[in-house]
Amino acid sequence: MASKTSAQEQPNNEQPQKKSLTRRRFLQVGAIVLGGAMVAVYPGRIPMRRAAAQMVETMDFPASISSYRPDFWFEILPDNTILLKSPKVEMGQGIFTGFAMLAAEELEVPPSQIKVETAGTSTGVIDSLGTGGSNTTSSLFIPIREVAATMREMLKTAAAKEWGVDVSAVTTQNGVLTSGNRTMTFADIAKATKKWDIPKTPALKPASAFKYVGKDMKRVDLKPKVMGKPLFGIDQTMPGMVYAVIVESPYIGGTLKRIDTKAAAQMQGVERVIHEDGLIAVVAKSRYAAEMAAQALDIEWNIPQKWQQADIEAIVTVGKGTEVNVQNEGDARSIIEKAGEQVFKQEYRTPLGAHAQMEVNGSIVHVEKDKATVIIGTQVVGLVRDEVAKAIGMDAEKIEIRIPYLGGGFGRRYAKMNAGNAARISKIVGKPVSVFNTREQEFLNSVYRPNTHHVLRAKIAANGTVEAITHDQATPDMIIENMSGKAGMTAFGADFISAGHGASILYNTANRSATIWHNKLPLPVGIWRSVGIFANTFAIESFINELAHKLGKDPIALRLSMVSGTGSGSEKIYTRYANALKTLAEKSAWNSPKTPGTGRGMAMANDRKTVAAAAVEVTVTDGVIRVHKVTSVLDVGIAINPEGIRMQIEGCVMMGISAALYEGIQVKDGQIGASNFHEYPLAMLRDAPEIQSFILEADDVPYGVGEPPIAPIAPAIAAAVFDATGVMPRSLPLKVA
Amino acid sequence: MNIDFTINGTKASVDVPAEMPLLWVVRDELGLKGTKYGCGKALCGACTLHVDGEAVRSCSFPVSAAAGKTVTTLEGLSPSEEKLHPIQQAWIDEQVPQCGYCQPGFMMAAAKLIKDIPNPTDEDIRSNISNICRCGTHPRIIKAIRRAAELQRISATL
Repeated sequence: MASKTSAQEQPNNEQPQKKSLTRRRFLQVGAIVLGGAMVAVYPGRIPMRRAAAQMVETMDFPASISSYRPDFWFEILPDNTILLKSPKVEMGQGIFTGFAMLAAEELEVPPSQIKVETAGTSTGVIDSLGTGGSNTTSSLFIPIREVAATMREMLKTAAAKEWGVDVSAVTTQNGVLTSGNRTMTFADIAKATKKWDIPKTPALKPASAFKYVGKDMKRVDLKPKVMGKPLFGIDQTMPGMVYAVIVESPYIGGTLKRIDTKAAAQMQGVERVIHEDGLIAVVAKSRYAAEMAAQALDIEWNIPQKWQQADIEAIVTVGKGTEVNVQNEGDARSIIEKAGEQVFKQEYRTPLGAHAQMEVNGSIVHVEKDKATVIIGTQVVGLVRDEVAKAIGMDAEKIEIRIPYLGGGFGRRYAKMNAGNAARISKIVGKPVSVFNTREQEFLNSVYRPNTHHVLRAKIAANGTVEAITHDQATPDMIIENMSGKAGMTAFGADFISAGHGASILYNTANRSATIWHNKLPLPVGIWRSVGIFANTFAIESFINELAHKLGKDPIALRLSMVSGTGSGSEKIYTRYANALKTLAEKSAWNSPKTPGTGRGMAMANDRKTVAAAAVEVTVTDGVIRVHKVTSVLDVGIAINPEGIRMQIEGCVMMGISAALYEGIQVKDGQIGASNFHEYPLAMLRDAPEIQSFILEADDVPYGVGEPPIAPIAPAIAAAVFDATGVMPRSLPLKVA
Repeated sequence: MNIDFTINGTKASVDVPAEMPLLWVVRDELGLKGTKYGCGKALCGACTLHVDGEAVRSCSFPVSAAAGKTVTTLEGLSPSEEKLHPIQQAWIDEQVPQCGYCQPGFMMAAAKLIKDIPNPTDEDIRSNISNICRCGTHPRIIKAIRRAAELQRISATL
């Protein structure tokens, strides 16, 4: 893993104590290099950096936040707006808006006075674990406010010194410091101060005093996005920039057999055709010329094996590969084994998936003699820098990564972004170069959501209750081997962190077990929005729905009967499940009469403590499934920006419908069987249902929102299709024969 | 040979291959980055702009076909940053964009739709716009188009 440290490395002499919102002492955590809170205008930056570096050494940030150079989270700009340099990237989740709200609470300014941009490597902190896992806002819920509060006190302290008054006599509002009849802006004091005193981290405002958190706030990036501003990586330029297209094998595992570059090299606008050390690329004056010349390359490929879909599914099958048990309560396995033919058993499959984010991957790179600049939309800034450093043999410290807005991510921007190759091209041609995928490359030379296979078994007791459930999930890797290589996979056995996420049975049966089977595919696989819980919820929740049908019980009633909190100290989560299920039943009018021809279905998931439940209504006409209504209930702990959460729910509902009804890659004759959107259709406007979102706040910390709502969508639709037709689809995309 | 056309009210003259897609001319020759590359095959609509008032998927539209015509991109949709086109205003009011990458194409397609059908039903919207969005902003796009149509009607009566 990329993290440089772990909780175990914290000094032992610290008493383990519950992190509270007030007076939390910042722990000193040696190996973690931290970001800092600082007030700076450019002329005053150097002494402030030093002060910041001293201060941050005594702060405790989530372990994965690191900066390669001690630097700043905040700057006061000359117009008295405050620049917040985000260690996390904005790819549509709306995190910048939430960050501005959190910082505003402690800075005593309106969120509109805070401008947020991604830090990049030279100007601020970055997160070495990347932006993903729906943990962005929740992981920074306390740190952002602590840094903001510290900065506010620093500004007040500096103003008090300037005026020769006690700091308690200084107040601040809207970026203006006041003492008696004297006033000064943040920008004034930042400019006037050379030496900063770093105060102790002040107590944070209690949640009851929040002015912005919990209220609907408009996204901070709406105006530039509707004006068509050049916000994205692909929109950036550098003086003297040329364009390149990289050519890779369109066959799985294919290698170069023969290449003739003559015709391509002579085409109009082409500067150079590169063919060295496994890199094939065309460099031209325009993207168009580069694309045309790439198509004109005369190439033959060695095809090691003509992989077919049946091969891919055979590799990913329960019982094959290495096995890791992740849940074992009671005696589930042996109860199921002894029951033999008496068990209720079903199997489910999910296909290889594409991220299909709208902005293709790519970067703009300028490699110079002693430095390199990379502009790239990525979810993992640190890994990109390491990749570039290795590719061109340059010290990582000399490589600056700038992060624009990302045109979608969904996990695709964790790997195979080709920044190393782009840097090699820039080094070869000695110019800045813009290297972006074609959509065909984005489909054919990508990283895919792995296909999965699930076997679920249940033993029903004589009294009609569920006595035992077992789940076996076969899944290739998402993150273990990708991040820590073969050795990592050997050590872990299977990817139970990402690919196996959500494999465990959340219902409180006395005997429950979950096992993950790892096997390796011949193609690159990785994380996809919500990681393994997408596939696992489809399988487990479909099974629970089938179980309810078999038992003649209502699916919500059956679930409610299995979320009572007995034992294991997890009563709180069971209460939250019950709360979500009851809310779902009420808000979706679950027990109301159905329109004839309509089917209803529901499902629930616990995605890293966010409880997501959904109910859907569908019709099936001539084999065409239409989702008409979706009710989504999301228990997020604490809601920071409810409107932002609703946007994420809607996004997850649409992506869930898309994945449930249309998406899936079939492998054929050694190739990925989808080269563009005509072969990988996505949900469109005509697929948009009526969506009702209900946010519950049944805890005292915020949990993730960007991924959890997608989990219950596919199994809820499958159940609704069964309800409407009597046919239960058990693989994605859902089909009614 | 130069190809001449008008773009967002300004004369443009470009010396590029006749078959070069208008998308790349607009983006890389004229530096207007609001029009997006999505698929290169007229499948996703991210590159939608207007040529003589018609919505066109510019990734598959040769620049020579724009010769002598009037091209409008998202940057030219509103008279100014302060006075937004009803579509842009509605996109802000309904908070449509998430990542925002596909939105220029959607907005250009929607601007054409409310010009042709000033009072569109949901069905008009759903069946006439086939652009792709991956963030799942579809429900808000539908709402925003209805709102934009209303804003257009209000401004017509002023």
